[in-house]
Amino acid sequence: MARRMDEEYDYLFKVVLIGDSGVGKSNLLSRFTRNEFCLESKSTIGVEFATRTLQVEGRTVKAQIWDTAGQERYRAITSAYYRGALGALLVYDVTKPMSFDNVSRWLKELRDHADSNIVIMLIGNKTDLKHLRAVTTEDAQSYAEKEGLSFIETSALEAINVEKAFQTILSEIYRIISKKPLSAEDPGQANIKEGKTIVVGESEANQKRSCCSSS
Amino acid sequence: MEKKTLIDDYEPGPVPSPRPVDRFGFVKLDVGNNIPEAVVKDRSVFERERDERRLRKWRKMIGVNGSDWKHYVRRKPNVVKSRIRKGIPDCLRGLVWQLISGSRDLLLMNPGVYEQLVIYETSAAEMDIIRDISRTFPTHVFFQQRHGPGQRSLYNVLKAYSVYDREVGYVQGMGFVAGLLLLYMSEEDAFWLLVALLKGAVHAPMEGLYLVGLPLVQQYLSQLEQLVKEHLPKLGEHFAQEMINPSMYASQWFITVFSYSFPFHLALRIWDVFLFEGVKIVFKVGLALLKFRHDELIKLPFEKLVHALRNFPEDALDPDTLLPMAYSIKVTKRLEELTEEYEKKNGKTVQSTKLNENQSPAS
Ligand SMILES: Nc1nc2c(ncn2[C@@H]2O[C@H](COP(=O)(O)OP(=O)(O)O)[C@@H](O)[C@H]2O)c(=O)[nH]1
Ligand SMILES: [Mg+2]
Repeated sequence: MARRMDEEYDYLFKVVLIGDSGVGKSNLLSRFTRNEFCLESKSTIGVEFATRTLQVEGRTVKAQIWDTAGQERYRAITSAYYRGALGALLVYDVTKPMSFDNVSRWLKELRDHADSNIVIMLIGNKTDLKHLRAVTTEDAQSYAEKEGLSFIETSALEAINVEKAFQTILSEIYRIISKKPLSAEDPGQANIKEGKTIVVGESEANQKRSCCSSS
Repeated sequence: MEKKTLIDDYEPGPVPSPRPVDRFGFVKLDVGNNIPEAVVKDRSVFERERDERRLRKWRKMIGVNGSDWKHYVRRKPNVVKSRIRKGIPDCLRGLVWQLISGSRDLLLMNPGVYEQLVIYETSAAEMDIIRDISRTFPTHVFFQQRHGPGQRSLYNVLKAYSVYDREVGYVQGMGFVAGLLLLYMSEEDAFWLLVALLKGAVHAPMEGLYLVGLPLVQQYLSQLEQLVKEHLPKLGEHFAQEMINPSMYASQWFITVFSYSFPFHLALRIWDVFLFEGVKIVFKVGLALLKFRHDELIKLPFEKLVHALRNFPEDALDPDTLLPMAYSIKVTKRLEELTEEYEKKNGKTVQSTKLNENQSPAS
């Protein structure tokens, strides 16, 4: 598929940002895509997305990241966006134990609505608030191991580990994708190169359908 | 009643450094173009005179403290409708909104109830509300100060509502609606207007909108998608091709009635009409925006398209061009049909959904 010069990339990876409201998803996204932290940010209504093109394992990857409203009430709208995502960044706030407790509910959401082979990374954000920390690195680490997730702690405010978090999940996705055999029976692989939202593991016909028909 | 004075219970505290604000109290962004200067420019003599004429007519129409309003609406509904569509004079807006919605009557029928809700009741949503307080109109001077009067009233209204209507509780987005109201009326008035919007006094233009699963939002999005196909077939086709779903750009149109990210002077004009005519104005304005940008939009690929749909340029957002265009788009009848179809397929969305205003006489 022909693409214009400014959109040169080898792969397009769709990733979703999920987790309780207020944990810092929108700021992680703006830090990663625009290197900005916005003190006067609004709460997210519905879904938003931003992109950044970067080098991953020597390939040019365009990351298309969908940010979602965290409130339970929005699940009906946001969960439609899990479909077709290759990765999910599941964020909690290291100063809010509740947001960590809810991680298991978010995992269930993903199991119910996302593709089964989705790569999930657990992120503990706001590490700059050292005096307020209420979830230890060890607890989160061992939880992540138990659930088979990768794990990292970040500060969107101080730009700590944000780049690394995204790099890591994109590399993981890349490794999984590039292992898949390239064949006619595997349209997922071909779709990666198409400049649109990709739905790995679905047929071309399915892919033409809206990626998030509200249901 | 005039615009509320914002400093009645002001406590001295850390005052944010003074930054230039626009006429509505939003901090001016040096780069952003949220508040187009062209619209804020000094009014010409002609405009000033026109506004004064309008104000006189409005004062006569509503009577002292709104005493003639109901009578006038019954006798001359179409005059009222057309005056509202031209914009309610800003100094009467708070009062007129309360008259249109019938929230005034709710307030009078329920003395002391608001105070009771604020002071004595606790809500399961308190933490959720607090988390969003500083993220609601963060660039408006009234809401900027941490724990200042603006943030406190916003919290009180939202908490009171979440107790009053436990089925709805608190939903992200409600803060923008409550915040908008608070810039024009007292806490208690804003609360009852919120009740009127969601529960109905004259009609309930937001009833069911915030229920679990956001069923009405889903219905509206699906109806919008269909209307785009019918009114702007080429664009509808392009959206389908690029796999654009209306939830990517229009959720906030319905959830906050354009108060989340649109220029404030435009949001106010839309709210004037919304209160009188109901949700169809949201569809009309949405379609008008798409129509205005039609020729650009049909050329854009997916990502640029979504971006364009969330960031309309200044010239598209001028109320004096956008609104007449919106009024000229007819959707009422088709919306009714689509609602019927939708409900046949999905079951009734909300028990007494009034897509159309019933008592308010707008056609
Ligand atoms: N101290 C600190 N605050 C943060 C950090 N990330 C986000 N915040 C703040 O947390 C609040 C919620 O952030 P936001 O990105 O809107 O959260 P979301 O609801 O998950 O999208 C905002 O007030 C941010 O300024 C961080 O890394 N450190
Ligand atoms: Mg957010």
